[in-house]
Amino acid sequence: MEASRIKDDASFRWTFQIAQVILNGRSRSRDREALGLHENKHQRWRSPATIPLSLPLPLPPTSSVAMGIKGLTKLLSDNAPNAIKEQRFENYSGQKIAIDASMSIYQFLVVVGRNGMETLTNEAGEVTSHLQGMFNRTIRLMEAGIMPVYVFDGQPPELKKQELAKRHVNLKREDAIRDLTVAVEVGDKEGIRKFSKKTVKVTKRHNEDCKRLLRLMGIPVIEVYAVASEDMDSLTFGAPRFVRHLMDPSSRKIPVLEFEVSKILEELKLSMDQFIDLCILSGCDYCNSIKGIGGQTALKLIHWHGCLENILQNINKERYHIPEDWPYKKVRQLFREPNVSSEIPDLRWTAPDEEGLVNFLVNENSFNNKRAIEKIKVAEIKFSQRRLESLFKEGVSTSAPSKRKETRCMLHFPRPARQSRMFRLQTFIVSGPKGGSLKPLIPVLQQRCCEAMSILKN
Amino acid sequence: MLELRLLQGGLLKKVLEAMRELVTDANFDCSRSGCSLQAMDSSHVALVALLLRSDGFDHFRCDRNRSMGMNLNHVAKLLRCAGNDDIITLKADDDGDTVTFMFESPKQDKIADFEMKLMDIQSEHLGIPEAEYQAIVKMPSQEFARICRDLSTIGDSVVISVTKEGVKFSTKGDIGSANIVCRQNTTVDKPEESTIIEMKDPVSLTFALRYLISFTKATPLSNTVTVSMSSDLPMVVEYKIADMGYIRYYLAPKIDEDEDQA
Repeated sequence: MEASRIKDDASFRWTFQIAQVILNGRSRSRDREALGLHENKHQRWRSPATIPLSLPLPLPPTSSVAMGIKGLTKLLSDNAPNAIKEQRFENYSGQKIAIDASMSIYQFLVVVGRNGMETLTNEAGEVTSHLQGMFNRTIRLMEAGIMPVYVFDGQPPELKKQELAKRHVNLKREDAIRDLTVAVEVGDKEGIRKFSKKTVKVTKRHNEDCKRLLRLMGIPVIEVYAVASEDMDSLTFGAPRFVRHLMDPSSRKIPVLEFEVSKILEELKLSMDQFIDLCILSGCDYCNSIKGIGGQTALKLIHWHGCLENILQNINKERYHIPEDWPYKKVRQLFREPNVSSEIPDLRWTAPDEEGLVNFLVNENSFNNKRAIEKIKVAEIKFSQRRLESLFKEGVSTSAPSKRKETRCMLHFPRPARQSRMFRLQTFIVSGPKGGSLKPLIPVLQQRCCEAMSILKN
Repeated sequence: MLELRLLQGGLLKKVLEAMRELVTDANFDCSRSGCSLQAMDSSHVALVALLLRSDGFDHFRCDRNRSMGMNLNHVAKLLRCAGNDDIITLKADDDGDTVTFMFESPKQDKIADFEMKLMDIQSEHLGIPEAEYQAIVKMPSQEFARICRDLSTIGDSVVISVTKEGVKFSTKGDIGSANIVCRQNTTVDKPEESTIIEMKDPVSLTFALRYLISFTKATPLSNTVTVSMSSDLPMVVEYKIADMGYIRYYLAPKIDEDEDQA
């Protein structure tokens, strides 16, 4: 909540940086345990298994270049600490949460069951790491009573394609493949591990597999165009809040971090349009940034001049080199009116198709997972618990915290909502440096909310 | 300056025991009219609301409204150091960050002072609307506790249905199922042993038993319990605290399986 709640800024930032690493490291060992891999005769480690303890940060090859909005997390933690909240995992029970599926699949392919060049496969030798990971993560969310929605990438917008092309993604992967071949020849185990991860590519088949799995589990799947590329730029796209580190709650040491756009705007004293300008200025996925301007400078400039046009007129052109035909207007348009799918699928959580799951996982993909199927039954029960806020209107807090005391307390409740929560969908973008914008859902739900209100009134 | 003196210190111990399983940290809000507390459990499914009116205390002084954050387990620990018939006095300075618990033995031959640090807890007050409930059941608190305990050996959730015939508690589990029906009964010698059902419309709701079990920790506070239910509201389980106020628990129902979950 307040910055002071987080003991000191330095350790806070440190948490940010390492959390991702721990997340993946943990999810791996946990997934192995959960799946009982040792009992599984088909799903095997094809070389003698020694599990590396330290795991490097698995991000897509593209992310070695800054993705999303450059340094936005740091900027926010310095300038808008109240917009970031630590939350407990359980606090999200009964809430709907959107998860970027593509990013998750990538992480699973890199981490789950990997040993050197070997990954988990089924009898036919096809990789199944993504299914293992997806299945277990979803079960964990369901057990906590969280209702997940998986969001799959559609077409990247034109602007982003240019940026992506520049990154020589494929070139990098080719580099990694070459390095890997060298490492294999020399027998450099460390190198094999490192480079084989870099060669990971999420294919269409992986996506299709996961969609099929999720449908069998009764979890809704959405495909969206214009998925925001870094979790932080989901904010720019207008997701009301998003959550980080949700997938690592079992360690309990890293609280789930929740960002709320309205708070960010309040703290930074900016309007939404200004915030978008700030993000463009500090550098986003869709256009070049101006050399020498980072988040802090950008924030100062926006405060001083108000909008990008004024900045461009008044800025010292010799000191800051502005790229020729800088497409900031187009980018701004994109952020304001993202190219989103307007058809909102009906979000339904249905009972899992047990027979289908067994057939798909056990017969087709060599899982040995009767236990996990039982788990899904347990998760079903928790799904049905309602939350108090859906029944009461939340009032404004009357108990202002008294003076700051030495003792810290971790009990945080969500900030009061001014509207009834009964029909509100909370949009969360979860986990990993890519995030999907769920903006299209908001107006529809608001409309439904209004309809419901009018029904109640009549 | 805040000073609350309670002759029957054992009461405070019971109040703490009744809440600490459900919530760990909470703000005690003190004003001229009394002491209150409202807190939700971590999953936001249940809420506890406590009221101790100032006239129930033997001495009550509150110069300024205060909200004192405490860890209920810590308070319970401190209160375990007090005897059941000790006189308990709570003291806090207006600008201090500690609270002092003073325990006096009934004969005044032993006085103990415990000072506890306060915490900074940000919490939200839910605006709880005054509502008319479709069904209100008043029954002996021990009986209610017994039913919850017995059913929890069979299943995880309980369906509570109120009809003209009475109130029915039913559950299902792996080993089988159970039904307990309590009929209206006002023909007992003692009024606190009666079961009274006031019903406008029949109601049937499903609840998670583990929360109800936590609520029954308040059983020592009162001989009777009042359960109020409406189909669109959380259930309310109220234990009156004699001459002082009440402790109320609110619980969100579970969604029935045949209902749409989307």
